[in-house]
Amino acid sequence: MLSLAGGLVFRWSAALAAGIALLGAEQAVRLATGPSHADPWTPLYAAGFLLAAELAWWSMEPRVPSFSDLPVLVNRLAVIILSCAGGAVLAALVVLAAGAPLRGGVGLEVVGVVAAAAALTVVATVARTRVR
Amino acid sequence: MTRAATAKLGAYTALAGLGLLGALVAGRPELVALAAPFAAVLVAGLSLAEKPDLKALFDLDQERQVQGETVAAELELWSRRGHSHLELLLDLPDGLVAETPNPQLISLAGDERRPIDHTIRCERWGAYLVGDLVLRSQDPFGLLVHEWTIERKRPLKIYPHGETLRRLLRPLDTQAFAGNQVPRARGEGIEFADLRPFEPGDRVRRINWRATARRGEPWVTETHPERNSDVVIFLDTFLEARLADESTLDQAVGAAGALARHYLAEKDRVGLVAFGGVLNWLTVSSGLVQLYRVLDSLLDAEIFLSYAWKDIDLLPVRTLPPKALVLAISPLLDERAVRALLDLRARGFDLAVIEISPVPYAAAREGRLDELAWRLWLLRREALRSRYLRLGVPIVEWRAGTPLQAALEEVRRFRRHARTLRV
Repeated sequence: MLSLAGGLVFRWSAALAAGIALLGAEQAVRLATGPSHADPWTPLYAAGFLLAAELAWWSMEPRVPSFSDLPVLVNRLAVIILSCAGGAVLAALVVLAAGAPLRGGVGLEVVGVVAAAAALTVVATVARTRVR
Repeated sequence: MTRAATAKLGAYTALAGLGLLGALVAGRPELVALAAPFAAVLVAGLSLAEKPDLKALFDLDQERQVQGETVAAELELWSRRGHSHLELLLDLPDGLVAETPNPQLISLAGDERRPIDHTIRCERWGAYLVGDLVLRSQDPFGLLVHEWTIERKRPLKIYPHGETLRRLLRPLDTQAFAGNQVPRARGEGIEFADLRPFEPGDRVRRINWRATARRGEPWVTETHPERNSDVVIFLDTFLEARLADESTLDQAVGAAGALARHYLAEKDRVGLVAFGGVLNWLTVSSGLVQLYRVLDSLLDAEIFLSYAWKDIDLLPVRTLPPKALVLAISPLLDERAVRALLDLRARGFDLAVIEISPVPYAAAREGRLDELAWRLWLLRREALRSRYLRLGVPIVEWRAGTPLQAALEEVRRFRRHARTLRV
C-alpha cells in the first residue's frame, strides 16, 4: 500500500506497478499458506486489482490543464467498468478451469509454461505490429 | 506521426508476466486468475488501437488585425473512426494568446464533424502563420499514444496599435503637389496671405473689391497654395533594448505606424527606411495603398545582428527626396545609426530624432562599479544628445508610457526657436 501511495504521490509508474505486484504477492502468500482448493473469491480480487491499477494510472496520467469534454470522462469510466467486469468473468473461468478434475504431471506443467510464454508473446507481438 | 507506449503498457505486461510465472512457480492457479484481467486488457487494448485518421480544417475570420484586438479562429475536425481521448493543442506563435481553453481534451465519434471555436488575442505586432495543430490520441485503454501535427497555416498580420496624434511635425519646405500644408510661398490657393495693388497679369477674379473700393484703385488678394510634404521615417533596427515582452523596437514600430497613418491622412507622401542589419526601404508615396505598404514593411522590421559597417550611401537616392522631413526613430545604441543620422544632417536634410530611451529597459545593478558604469553610460548618452542639438538637430527622449504627442511637441518647440544650420 505504501508503494502504491508513493507512486500516486510522486506520479511514478514503477512504484505503482510494484505496489500492485506486492499486493498480488501478498495474495499469493495467503493462498500458498491456505487450503489447497481454489479460492472462490479470486475473480473478485482480480477485478479489484485491475480496478485499483486502472484508477491509479488514470490519476497519474500526464496531462495539461485543459478543457475536457464530459463524454471523455464517461467513456473512460465505461471502459474501466467493462474491463473490471470482463476481467472478473475471465478470472472466474480460470478458477473454474482450475477446479476441473484433471490429473497433474510434467506434461501439463509444460503446457502451462508454454501457454504463459505464448500469452506474453502474443501481447508483445500485438504491441509491436498492430499499430504502425 | 509518432507512436509511443504508455507506462501503463509496460506495467501491465510486467504484472501479467509476474502473475503467470508466479502461478507456475507456486503451483497456484489463482495467480493466473489475478493476472488474466491485465493480460486481457493488454490484448484488447492493443487489438483495438488503430492509426488515427483525422482531418482538420482551420480558418481565421480576418487576415489583418490591430495589436490588442482579437481574431476568431474556427477549427473543424472529423474522423471516420472515433477517438475516445483526443488532446488538441492549437500551437500559437509568441505574440498570440488563445482566450478560449487551449489545449482541449475531446472525444470524437466516428464520422462526427466537430467545430471548435477559438478566440485569439493579438498581443504583439508582427506577421504570423497560424494553424499548427498538435494532436495526441490515446486508445480506449490508454496503452498507446499517437502524436502528430496537422499544419493548416493561415497568414495573420497584426499591425502595431499606434496612438492618435493631434498635431504633426511640419517640414521646413513643402513639395509641389497638392496637400493640406500651407507653405510660406504665395500662389493659387484658398488660404489668405496678403493684399497688394493690382499688377498687369493678375487675374480679375483675384481683385478684392472691398479693398479696391476703399483705396480707389484695384487691389488683389494674395493666397497661399495648399501643398503636401515628404516625410521619411527612418527606423533604426541595428539594436534594441528589451525587457520581458517590451522593447525599444516595439515602441519604435508603434510610433512609425502612427506617424505614417497620420501623415498619409493629410495627403503627405511617406517613405520608410529601416536601417539596420538588414536594409529595407520604401520610396515616398501617398494614399491608402502606401499606408499598407508601410505597415507591411514595419512588420518585417527585426533586429538582425550584423557587424558590417553601413552608411546612408547604401540607400537609393530616391528614398531620401530633397526637402523631405526625415523623422528618425532610434534608441541611439549603435554607432552606425548615430553616424548615419549625423551624415544626413551634414547633407542638409531636415532631420528630427525621436530617441526611444533604452534607460527603462536597462536598470542599474547594485555595486559601486556597476553604478559608476551606469552613470557614465547615462552621461555619454547626454553628451550624444548635446552633439545633435549643437548641430541644430532636434532630439527628444521618448520613454515608454509617455505619449508620442508630447515628444513631437518638444521637437516642435525646439524647431520654432532653432535656426537651420549648414554644417
